[in-house]
Amino acid sequence: MQQRLPIAVCFIAGVLMFLQYFSPHPVARAVFVTINDYWQIIFAFTLLVGIAAFVKTNLKQISRGKDTPYRLIGLAGLVLMPVLALIGGIKIDSPFQWAFENMLAPMQATVFSLLAFFVASASFRGFRARNAQAVILLAAALVVLIGRVPITEMISETFPKITFWVQNYPSMAARRGILIGIGLGSMTTALRVILGIERTYLRGE
Amino acid sequence: MTRLKTRWVIFGGLFLMITLSYLLNVRFESVASPEVQKSYTYIEDLPEGSVIMVSFDHEASSLPEIQPLALVVLRHAFKNNLKIIGVSLFAEGTAIGYRLLSQTASEFDKRYGTDYVFLGFKPQQISAILGMGESIRHVFPEDYLGTPTDEIPVMHGIVNYDQVEMVVSITDGALTVHWIEYVGSQYHQQVMAALTAAMITTYDPYLASGQLFSVVGGLKGAAEYENLLGQPGGGNRGMLAQTSAHLYVIVLIIIGNILYFRDRKRGKE
Repeated sequence: MQQRLPIAVCFIAGVLMFLQYFSPHPVARAVFVTINDYWQIIFAFTLLVGIAAFVKTNLKQISRGKDTPYRLIGLAGLVLMPVLALIGGIKIDSPFQWAFENMLAPMQATVFSLLAFFVASASFRGFRARNAQAVILLAAALVVLIGRVPITEMISETFPKITFWVQNYPSMAARRGILIGIGLGSMTTALRVILGIERTYLRGE
Repeated sequence: MTRLKTRWVIFGGLFLMITLSYLLNVRFESVASPEVQKSYTYIEDLPEGSVIMVSFDHEASSLPEIQPLALVVLRHAFKNNLKIIGVSLFAEGTAIGYRLLSQTASEFDKRYGTDYVFLGFKPQQISAILGMGESIRHVFPEDYLGTPTDEIPVMHGIVNYDQVEMVVSITDGALTVHWIEYVGSQYHQQVMAALTAAMITTYDPYLASGQLFSVVGGLKGAAEYENLLGQPGGGNRGMLAQTSAHLYVIVLIIIGNILYFRDRKRGKE
């Protein structure tokens, strides 16, 4: 019973959502809207689970004296933003908006921009023409790098054309293959779950 | 030179290149790519009062690249007196979207509620996207500031995507794929993407198949769009920095390979 009930619920929900897609009938639309609402409500609760896990993990590590200042800042941020929003609102001139624009956004952008430095370092150390495949990869990377800056357009119109070709033929062919593979894989997995063949979501059985 | 010293020289070089680039005031005359031209022409040709939905589907980390893209599209829309419905399907995009909309609206004397609205954030993107296909006010009963959607003038007569000319997804990830797969295929809605340069190739297959209407990609795309609009902004300002960083990386790759072949030759000898 512990297994049959969830499999039955999964089968009914899967088939129902599949059939409603092809029906413009008001009942089918109502079913779709209702299930969609539940989907959002369930997802909203997962956010609470995420917050609880974040707090629990950090408190546990603080009690062990591990990275305490960083973890305290993380927890303070978690409390500060909702408090600011509750006290001062979320309008354009609110403290919440100020904190977001002047604290969170610059910090995140700073961390993200570090990527440029690692890319520069990796391009020097790792991008070596060791074999034929590496030469092809290197050539493609150079062409795209050159083609994505306007200065090369001013030198010659050929650079952007070569970049366009690389992006729209070899690169796209590979990407399409991957996308088709993902699509077929998703369909197969969905069918296996709906039909109860795939049961890993039930405690990995 | 030790490994650590080399790294610091590389880092320092890049830092200098980018800092100097932002200190210099150089503007490149770039030709608009077909995708940017298509995006511009579509918005340019929309009749006044048409409604577009702009979705801020990005994180705060990509703001330096996303902001010029978002601003140029919003400026164009407000300049042509289009109505804008702003939403966000990524929590961090919410505060940014609200600020960008407010900032651009004030440049064109547009009024909140009458000319534009920001409906805010909804979790679970696919569900929100599909839900708006049935009823936008069902998914967003209130706007970002808590005003009932029914009481907002710009939302009068807007039921679902049928009354929206185009969805513009401003993204730094794969979220626009959901717009393409669900809104494009199920509700036959035009979808345009304004995205970071790193994501361009992800969307190329959708663009080639026509599922994605058009793309404005990266700082270069923003700069091209700004030039078409005749309003240079962050895209143009960042072009020299991007150009110098790209050229710097190319030089590093070449030097790295020269050293590699030199060491290999020495090893053989």
